[in-house]
Amino acid sequence: MFGFLGPNGAGKSTAIRLLLGFARPTRGRAFVFGTAAEDVERAHRLLAHVPADVAPWPHLTGAETLDLLAATSHHTDLRYRAELVDRFDFDPSKKGRTYSTGNRQKVALIAAFATRAPLLVLDEPTSGLDPLMEREFRRAVEDARDNGQTVFLCSHQLAEVEAVCGRVGILRAGRLIEVADVGDLRGLRRSVVTVTCAGQGPDLAGVEGVTGLERVGSTGLRFTLTGPPGPALRALAAADVTGIAVREPGLEEIFLDYYGETGP
Amino acid sequence: MIGLVIRQIWRGALIIAVAAGTVSALVAAGHREFIAGTGTGDFAALAGDPAIRIMFGEPVALDDPGGFTVWRTGASLAVLVSAWALLTATRITRGEEEARRWDLLLTGPITLPKLVARHIAVLVTAACVPGMAAYVALSAMGTGQRGAALHGAGIALVGAFFAVVGVFAAQMFPSRAGATGAAVAVLGVGFGLRMAADASVSWLHWSSPFGLLALTRSFASDRPWPLFVLAFTAGVVAVATLAVAGRRDLHNGLSAPRGGRPAQRRLLSSPGAFAVRCMVPSWCGWAVGLGAYYLVMGLLTGSVTGFLADNPRFADLAADAGFTALGSSEGLAATLFSLLAVPAGAFAAVRIATVAAAESQGRFTLTLATPVTRARLLVAETGAALGGVLALLTVVGSAAWAGTLSGDTPIAWASALAGAWNTVPIVLLSLGFAVVALGWAPGAVTGIGLLPGAGGFLLFVVARSVDAPAWITGVSPFGHLAAVPREPVDVGGALGMAAIAAVAAIAGWMGLRRRDLRM
Repeated sequence: MFGFLGPNGAGKSTAIRLLLGFARPTRGRAFVFGTAAEDVERAHRLLAHVPADVAPWPHLTGAETLDLLAATSHHTDLRYRAELVDRFDFDPSKKGRTYSTGNRQKVALIAAFATRAPLLVLDEPTSGLDPLMEREFRRAVEDARDNGQTVFLCSHQLAEVEAVCGRVGILRAGRLIEVADVGDLRGLRRSVVTVTCAGQGPDLAGVEGVTGLERVGSTGLRFTLTGPPGPALRALAAADVTGIAVREPGLEEIFLDYYGETGP
Repeated sequence: MIGLVIRQIWRGALIIAVAAGTVSALVAAGHREFIAGTGTGDFAALAGDPAIRIMFGEPVALDDPGGFTVWRTGASLAVLVSAWALLTATRITRGEEEARRWDLLLTGPITLPKLVARHIAVLVTAACVPGMAAYVALSAMGTGQRGAALHGAGIALVGAFFAVVGVFAAQMFPSRAGATGAAVAVLGVGFGLRMAADASVSWLHWSSPFGLLALTRSFASDRPWPLFVLAFTAGVVAVATLAVAGRRDLHNGLSAPRGGRPAQRRLLSSPGAFAVRCMVPSWCGWAVGLGAYYLVMGLLTGSVTGFLADNPRFADLAADAGFTALGSSEGLAATLFSLLAVPAGAFAAVRIATVAAAESQGRFTLTLATPVTRARLLVAETGAALGGVLALLTVVGSAAWAGTLSGDTPIAWASALAGAWNTVPIVLLSLGFAVVALGWAPGAVTGIGLLPGAGGFLLFVVARSVDAPAWITGVSPFGHLAAVPREPVDVGGALGMAAIAAVAAIAGWMGLRRRDLRM
């Protein structure tokens, strides 16, 4: 399970297009299990792909699209495909043009998982799915892992990659800046906390896990919290806190924070 | 908003307007030569012949350069402007909506009916430009002002009518292909009604835009009121269009989409089979339209050849434009079949253009992620297109043959098929050019693919009419097309064109292989 992380415009989809032979490299080469990426006939027997933006044929129903893809794929497990149709609660009788974003994504996910290909290249596969379907997606990924398949999951959501992947690569401005185990990236996980207090407010300078402390207006404080929240909460408990908001920062913010403006 | 619509259509409008002006001016200029060798008896014979009327419309005021131009160019110009107007209309309305670009526009304060109304306003204005060009060209050649104005207004109004029909169809049908098909069917029926009206049932003129245009009798009676009827009808259709736009949901036609349907699994087994499946609906439309036209032409063959044999002056006139030996069934059939290269080439170009469109809409992202190579996809699509054209030519040849059976001088089925299939080299060129465009300029597949057929035909006719040097006619593929079935096939010419087509296809493949896919 390999997560491919990067902010918008980092070049994740371009890298995938190179890997699939859709785009031609100006320099260098790409290989899929030792097969050159441009040898599509052989390389694509080894992989299945879910694009970020799925555009099924508008005049084909979901079932017909799945049949077409099964006919052109190297192998499709039809029984597993029927099971996936059920699990993803997908109605295959409707025409492509009537499907919502989530349903279009389901067509591609079902077709890709049903191939049982050794490598699944998934490009932002859950961006249109509701939480229930996201759970089904994670189940399908786990099935693939148990089956010995490799999943290459491209995302800009840290949480999704953390939940599914063992190893992570981070792409920034077209360069792979880090490849590490997910555990090693715990340092990336952080929250942005904003508190408002009656009166002076607590002194958080030097509290463990608190960085980037700044004042917001006359009664507010904002800081970034890394690691266990206990010490910061204890410090806050002493003050008269009237409001608290905690949010997950975006990947871009994390990267800026973690690597600085110019990167490592 | 208006600016956005104008940006999407001004190039096409300009090209059609230049063509309309040039052809009108050239034909009016050639009138003196025409009049020199023609007597009044010839005019009477021409006006009285039903077959001539059905094919070219009723000739009125042939002694006037304006009237002559109206007869020679009016019907084809009206069809050209109409076809452009309706294709453009469905492209920039339903096409844009299908590509979900209207979602963005409609997030602003504008409503769907208002957006549609602005498109109608720009399209109608643009459709009037070629008519104005025809008017300016005729006036500049010194024809009567009133006749020129009526003719120009007539062409403009017919174009405007079909622009509105295109937008109306785009409101009724949820896909661009469906809307275009329906609008083209209206055009075909309109033209058929005009032919029937000229054949015998003259009141049918009132039921067709082309019939109303003929009723103005520009340069003879100069009647404006048929145009008022046409303008009123276009207005009614426009109002109905806005009413439908106000009732429907975005992305849908007038009726909500059906809940679903059972899977139809035929022709899904390979890229080739799927290419055929995608082609079948539009193929049926082309086969019905072209088949019906050539059936009628076949039915008229006997009487047209009889007329031209009795009136050699007109046969000479046609020969000047490159159409020789029209006085025999085989000669006329050969001329009509050589014209077939234009629509058959267009069919081939449009098939490859749909591949380019599917690519840019990301439809191939799923299939090309399976072990299907670009080469296999290209072979599947061009193979399907070629097979479709060959089937189309067979249908059309058979229809023409069936038509001639009713007359005194039927042509053999094999001759008819030979005549229809004789256009294959030009079709191959169209396919080759379209594939080159797919490889190197995927945004211009239709335009480049139309060059050998429609472009070559225009070049050939104009070059022959103005006695251009031989090498200019030689540039056109039509300069290398033998008059089959009157003459044997020009094997050298056919092989030469096939070789150029093959080189073009290989060049296109090389471009497609090295470039990034647009998705």
